[in-house]
Amino acid sequence: MNEFETTAPDSGLRRSQLYRTQQQGGAEFASLNGATVVKQFAADDAQQLKSLAMVDLSMLPRSGFKGRQAPEWLTRQGVEIPAEPNRATRQQDGSLVASLSVQEHLILSDLQITAGKPQQLENDWQMDADTACYALPRSDSHAWLLLTGEHLRDMLAKVCGIDFAAEEFANHQVAQTSVARLNSILIRDDVQLADGSTVLAFHLLCDVSSVEFMWDCLQDAMDEFGGKPAGLAALLA
Amino acid sequence: MKILNCPLNGPRNISEFIYGGELHEMPDPNRCDSREWVEHVYFHENAAGIVREWWCHSATSYWFLAERNTITDEIIRTFPASEVFNQRVEFTAVEGE
Amino acid sequence: MPVYNDNRLANGGLLVDRSKTVNFSFDGREFKGFAGDTIASALAANGQWLISRSFKYHRPRGALTMAGQDANTLVQLPSDPNVLADRETIRDGLNVSGQNFSGSLEKDSSRHLGMFSKFMPVGFYYKAFYKPAGAWEKWAPVIRKAAGLGVVDDTFEPEYYDKQYSFYDLVVVGAGPAGMTAAIQAAEQGAKVLLVDENPILGGSLAYSRLDAEGTQAEALRQAMIADIESHANIDVKLEAICNGYFGDNWLPVIQGKRLYKVRAKEAIMCVGSLEQQAVFHNNDLPGVMMSSAIQRLIKLYGVKPGQKAVVVTGNDEGYATALDMLDAGIEVVAVAELRDAAPESELMQAVSQRGVRILSNHAVYAANASSDKKHLSAVEIRQQISKGQCADSGETFACDLLCMAVGYTPTYQLICQAGGQLSYNDDTAMFTLSKLPKAFQIAGSVNANWSVNAVCGDARRAAAIAVNRLAETVERVSAMAEPAPVADDSANSPNYSWPIFPHPKGKEFVDFDEDLQIKDIVNATRDGYEHVQLVKRYSTCGMGPSQGRHSALATARIVANATGKSVAQTGVTTARPPFAPERLGHLAGRSFYPARYTNMHHRHLEAGAQMLQAGAWFRPAYYGPTNQRDNCIAAEVNNVRNNVGLVDVSTLGGIEVRGPDAGEFLNRVYTFGFAKQPLGRARYALMTNEAGVVIDDGVSCRFHDQLFYVTATTGGVDRVYQNMLKWNAQWCLDVDIANVTSAWCGVNIAGPKAREVLSKLCEDIDLSSEAFPYMGVREGHVAGVQARVIRVGFVGELGYEVHVPQHAGEALWDALMAAGEAHGIKPFGIEAQRVLRLEKGHIIIGQDTDAMSTPEEVQMGWAVSNKKPFFVGQRIIRELNKEPQYRSLVGFVVDDPKAPQPEESHLVIDGDKMTGRVTSCNYSPTLGKPVGMAYVPPGKTEPGSDIVIKVDGAPVAAKVVALPFYDPDTARQNL
Repeated sequence: MNEFETTAPDSGLRRSQLYRTQQQGGAEFASLNGATVVKQFAADDAQQLKSLAMVDLSMLPRSGFKGRQAPEWLTRQGVEIPAEPNRATRQQDGSLVASLSVQEHLILSDLQITAGKPQQLENDWQMDADTACYALPRSDSHAWLLLTGEHLRDMLAKVCGIDFAAEEFANHQVAQTSVARLNSILIRDDVQLADGSTVLAFHLLCDVSSVEFMWDCLQDAMDEFGGKPAGLAALLA
Repeated sequence: MKILNCPLNGPRNISEFIYGGELHEMPDPNRCDSREWVEHVYFHENAAGIVREWWCHSATSYWFLAERNTITDEIIRTFPASEVFNQRVEFTAVEGE
Repeated sequence: MPVYNDNRLANGGLLVDRSKTVNFSFDGREFKGFAGDTIASALAANGQWLISRSFKYHRPRGALTMAGQDANTLVQLPSDPNVLADRETIRDGLNVSGQNFSGSLEKDSSRHLGMFSKFMPVGFYYKAFYKPAGAWEKWAPVIRKAAGLGVVDDTFEPEYYDKQYSFYDLVVVGAGPAGMTAAIQAAEQGAKVLLVDENPILGGSLAYSRLDAEGTQAEALRQAMIADIESHANIDVKLEAICNGYFGDNWLPVIQGKRLYKVRAKEAIMCVGSLEQQAVFHNNDLPGVMMSSAIQRLIKLYGVKPGQKAVVVTGNDEGYATALDMLDAGIEVVAVAELRDAAPESELMQAVSQRGVRILSNHAVYAANASSDKKHLSAVEIRQQISKGQCADSGETFACDLLCMAVGYTPTYQLICQAGGQLSYNDDTAMFTLSKLPKAFQIAGSVNANWSVNAVCGDARRAAAIAVNRLAETVERVSAMAEPAPVADDSANSPNYSWPIFPHPKGKEFVDFDEDLQIKDIVNATRDGYEHVQLVKRYSTCGMGPSQGRHSALATARIVANATGKSVAQTGVTTARPPFAPERLGHLAGRSFYPARYTNMHHRHLEAGAQMLQAGAWFRPAYYGPTNQRDNCIAAEVNNVRNNVGLVDVSTLGGIEVRGPDAGEFLNRVYTFGFAKQPLGRARYALMTNEAGVVIDDGVSCRFHDQLFYVTATTGGVDRVYQNMLKWNAQWCLDVDIANVTSAWCGVNIAGPKAREVLSKLCEDIDLSSEAFPYMGVREGHVAGVQARVIRVGFVGELGYEVHVPQHAGEALWDALMAAGEAHGIKPFGIEAQRVLRLEKGHIIIGQDTDAMSTPEEVQMGWAVSNKKPFFVGQRIIRELNKEPQYRSLVGFVVDDPKAPQPEESHLVIDGDKMTGRVTSCNYSPTLGKPVGMAYVPPGKTEPGSDIVIKVDGAPVAAKVVALPFYDPDTARQNL
């Protein structure tokens, strides 16, 4: 588990596209894993995660690979590939691998950032004329939000035209769809909170250039249910 | 709003898709006559009945094919483009040109 | 002091709370009602029957249906026109006024218009004001004001409306006995059910109708069903909610409050009931003449006594049920005109008879008489029928203030016809029926021609079983069930009387109340040659008013059929389209999503005072500085690039990575140039044409690896370019991977004579010297410590480097370059300056300097087309076109006269009075000190030195064709 450092680096190099939005929202920043992240929005962040919250995970490691031989290459690296597209599989090290098509896979860090896989795969990969497997710059192309809470389905129903009812959309199912008219990847991955309870959760990845718009849309959709942004600390506690 | 069944993503609102036009078999551009090529580029069958069309799921940029009845607007089936296109296409110039 | 609530019954009123008095005003007078009252019921309780004036003749009108199915009750609220007074509930302080009158509602100065009705036949306005030309434009506003419907409040405050998706196994529209039965049964089998109803309580007709002589059955049945529904976790109920349309695959917009629910139903059952129709006779529009269901609604739902002395005209049992309700409410029922000859003696008819009411068999209401103030019914004349629509020469007149009409129904067909259902007419039952329903969509109850409550519920059970069994095939939680035995309709006969239409020598037998259409208007429309009901509608405007034919469709179809000698089935009804009921613009406009895209440097632009403009979803700096200094700012930015060094954010440029063994071959096919042999470390211009040989995009292809090309595309074009590439390769099956990496990279162009000096401060691992890194070279290395792709480009015509870094580092790169360049006078520049700079350099912008016909040759890009490849998209057509003479060319021009107005985009190039071309770009060039531009010109005007004339706001301006580029033709500047 990575530890927060209390001073945020001044450089804009390793901070989220949402940095200024979060600053205006009263976020308390800290340094984590070499990046500036929101440690806390409010004292009741933990409670917020239970009812309805969004957490910016954009500074957590992730990577992606695509190509005719991507599944073979990933398997050789010890990745357990989901059985079919639009499913995700939790890896032994805690990372989550989502299959976006037979030839395209997304690797997300665990919330504690203990899994080495996302970064290690990116480091190990290089253009190889004999292997049709190509890295995708997922850390830079996409922003990553985690949405949690018991009111999550009601909130999503205001921005996305997919039925996320429990019977229709199982844990680790993936939807590549339109959220607030933005192409997005949604991955259901229920999370265990500090108090031991499990709460409904979705990873939402969208084009990084639109994440400020997405954040506003989600905040607006959450209002009705008392939803708010939360910091990483409550999630990692 | 109609539902279109994407071979990759399953049934979705048709607003998630982009229509890509009728499926045409491309004549050999280096060997067909001008008339044939012009018809390929500019003419559309616009048939009343069952047609094959290109559709693209925009969130995934995934192209596939659909069979649709243009009279009833019923989508009969959708399938990956690889059902029709599964061989590398080569173009060769005509000798001497 | 006025007496309030003097028409209120001692008991009853399911919808009103008698403990809560509500004060409101109507037409400037104060009224009191109860919570739950509609405007119309509260007015009725206070003896105010006149609610509005009719559209055309300004006749007095009152409640007709009490269910929002007519325009009689349209009123004006302070911020809402055209509100249905029989549906809108009152609230404290509400100010209601009448609509469509001149002066006051009670004394409308246009009320005598009806006297001139013979001079205002159908089509009158069009015929009378059609000539001379322009007359209609002059008269239309006057006529529309006189006929206007309400006033829009243009000082309104925006309100928050939004939308929500929802999903159900089964959606049941209509919560009457059929809808409740279907919902309960499907829920029992495990289906997730949504039950939608526009009323505030469950029950539909059970809430007001009378099933038995004692009058107890309906409410008992309603309560039992409500208990079942409330105990069911699987049923969601939406009340005061309208399913306002049908769209493909059971996509149902349900409006409730300020939210539009976009409901997707695996199965749908429409239990939408039927709409009662009026009898058509002289003065049938007088306040006091009402549908039987309206009378029952007033009594049962609001506890209002709708009159003192009543006459009934009926062709079915509902007339007798209502007569009993009226008697129970203390209304004197003086006579029943029974339209049928020898109607079967039902339990209800006997009960009425036993209570001493006179029943006149085979009799009709021939005419209604108005009170002395013309504002209410005072008597009806009942005559014997002698043949279809014909009455005896004289009859008997009965004084009354209430006439109950019970002559039949149409199914509420709107949603069903929108779904593709077909309406036909059954001559035996004199009734419309519905068939040809789409898949997963059913109808049940009275809309499906069932009338007794047993038959209605039986039909609902049948439909629910079918839906459940289909659901059970795919939905695990739903269990299949046996199909219930069919229930025969135990109601004696059809409730529809076949011809309740009685022409009168003085007319005023209204078919469509909304539009004041009488029998003769419909008949005349057919005589004017409009025999098809669709044409009758458009010519007469019948069914085009706010109630959209709800009370007029049946009578219209019958009259048209009769007048044209066709069957009603052949005549049909007009097409029903969404919306079913009026909807607010807020529901359509509310909470729409317009995505915005920002680069990583966005906030730096704002801090530097940039004026942002939107290009697609992207926000880009136009220029830096105040808007009143626009031109100076742009000129200063241009000069700084030419003389020092400038920095522009190019992050919005598209970026596509093409990787794999066939990468070069693939680019060869989608771009016009040759790429297979492009050397590593080099960039090459990439021009894209479509199959028709038209230029659609351009960019730069950079080769970083034998199997890796990084290709840029235009900001607006990249998504389409990417999709096109994927579609082509879905057909070609080349061994290549294509990835749109636009958002993953941020980029700047640092340009100007001092660009190298500044960049070299931050870049240690790339040799920036001209020899090592020439024009159109590409390198990978680090800038300001960040991994970077550096492309030596010349878009703006100076020494320049595009530096592309991973998205997260964009702002840091910007900061580092601004700091490093401070001593050299570095300044940011926006896309306006960039446009000027590139124009001076003669570079085109796809989409601005090209159109849907532009070929490479036309825009002087023949050099970018390879003739050595066997194929590229567009090649065949370009090859053919190049055999033909060119009919236009894009050239550069200058305007030398300093006093001439400056041409702008799309201004025409003219030759005498002929248009020969057009301007695509034109800006004042700070570098050249005069306007420069590009234009399409015809052959013969393409040589430098040719004189052309441009029409600038009507005035001819002389311009001279010059060789491109305007600036630095030897490219010494960009090769520095």
